Formats: sequence, structure tokens, C-alpha cells
Amino acid sequence: MPFLPTSQQWLEQSSLLLKARPSTTKITTRYTVEDSKSTGSKRKRRTADASGTDTDAPAAPKAVLILKTFDPASGVCLKYQTQKAQEVGRLVGALGRLSRNMAALPETAEEPMLDAPTAEQGTGTSTPIPEPAAKDGRTAADPKAGQGAGGGGGGKKKKKGKK
Amino acid sequence: MSSSHLSHDEFFTKLGELFEANRQAGKGSIFLTQKRLNYDTPSLASTPTTTPDDPLRDLHPESPLPVIIRASNGKWKDEKASKIKLSTIVQPDALEGFYIRYADVCKGGMQALKKRDRSKRKRDKAKKKKGSGAADGDKKG
Repeated sequence: MPFLPTSQQWLEQSSLLLKARPSTTKITTRYTVEDSKSTGSKRKRRTADASGTDTDAPAAPKAVLILKTFDPASGVCLKYQTQKAQEVGRLVGALGRLSRNMAALPETAEEPMLDAPTAEQGTGTSTPIPEPAAKDGRTAADPKAGQGAGGGGGGKKKKKGKK
Repeated sequence: MSSSHLSHDEFFTKLGELFEANRQAGKGSIFLTQKRLNYDTPSLASTPTTTPDDPLRDLHPESPLPVIIRASNGKWKDEKASKIKLSTIVQPDALEGFYIRYADVCKGGMQALKKRDRSKRKRDKAKKKKGSGAADGDKKG
């Protein structure tokens, strides 16, 4: 699965995946610092072996941050990669928003809705989904998608589009 | 298993240490994972995530579920002895506060990422150095 171009897309797709597969999906954040010193010194040894200095300090370590949302049940994997420190705060914020999907809490809009903990979930589960438009000879998978609310179904569709 | 989970304070302290160790080593990875905690909770013991009657039960749990956050330094196989694993459980009502602190620790820990202004300045400096004297500059480095 290739990397998604923007963190916003990653967040949206991951959110949809989590809505569809909330208990199997895992988000892994990998922060890797590459060993730029060793490669640098190797090059140095080849070029200027006589000097014998291992001073490659100006070469700042290369680091990369990779976010991966993976659902082993369906095999969907969504990734986003960045090297910019300024994105860390926003990305952890995104992780926080996705954690609400994991915890089965209602999603926060731009303004957090503090006083509505499980109300939306509750109504969503108990009401039978009316399916007026699903009579067009669709497959048996449709009722399932309908049961999982619109978000879940949308997630599956988008996933297929991404593959 | 559950006894090994850390409190949030301990988790952030140790995560900070993990980042610091990574910074000192100048290489290596840190893995942070988050996942719904859908086992090991008494309220869910009698209600597994999926049942034959309701294969999509996990889409609408009766109550919000905790999230487990894990951190590791990614040492396995040959280096398994030095592996560090941290984990903590965040209850749904504590998520918001947890992630605010989490963001701070991550921002503080992921220092090797490119910074907006510094990288430009550094590049300029490097260019100047190279321009002035290549071989000498390298030796001084």
C-alpha cells in the first residue's frame, strides 16, 4: 500500500477504516532516525582515509515519521510519511481523534462536544436502518453495511477505490 | 499482563527516556501503537467482540472502550535483550488529556525531524562553509 499524499487524507481514510473495523485496526507510529553518521564515515574513509577523522557532525541525522493504520482482518493498510517536525503536533492530534473512533466515542467536530458521550452511538445501534434505496437487487453484504451505519459502508467503498 | 501496564505519568516519563536514548544513540526507531482494548475488561468478558448472532457487534459496543497505547524501541530478533516495551491503558474519558500530553512528549522527543527554519539556515551555513574551503571545513567539521 503506497503512502497517502496528505495527512488529512490519511486521517479521513483511517477514520473510515476504524469505523468499519474498530476492534482489529491498529495504528502504529514509527519514528526512525537513520544512522547517517555511519554511512557518512564510510564514505569518508574511502575518500580521505589518511586523515582518519570521523567528524561528520554537520550531517544532521535524518529522521522520518511514519503513520500506519492497519487492519489485519481485511488487510487494509494506510500510511503517511513525513520528515517535518512541525507536523508532529497535528499528527498526534489526529491520533487523538482516531482514538475516539477506537474508543467508540462520538467524533469531535471542530468544537469538541463534551456533553454527548454515548448518545449518538446508542441511537445508531438500536434503530433498525431503513433501507429504501437498497432494493435494486444488491448483494447480501448490503444489510451488513447498513447496520454498521453509513460511515462503515463508506469506508469499505473508499478502501476498494484505494486498492 | 495487566499488571505491566503503566500509569500515564510513568508512561510519559519512560517514553521521554526512550526518546532521549534514541537521540543519544543517533539512530534507531521508536514504535508507538494504539488499539482498542477489547479484551481483558470485565464488562466485556461475557460479551465477546463478535458473536455468531451479531458479527458486527464491535461496531456498536454498549459503552465506550479503553484504548491501549504501546511504545517500543523496536529491538527484536538479535537485540531482543535490550528491547523496551511500555504500555498504558487510556480510559475513554481520559483520552483528550492524554493526547495533549502525548503530543508534547512526541514533539519534544522527535527532535531529529526537519525543523521549518533551522533546516534552511543550516543549509545556507553548509553552503557557505563549502564555498570557503571544502577540505579544511570537513576536517574541522
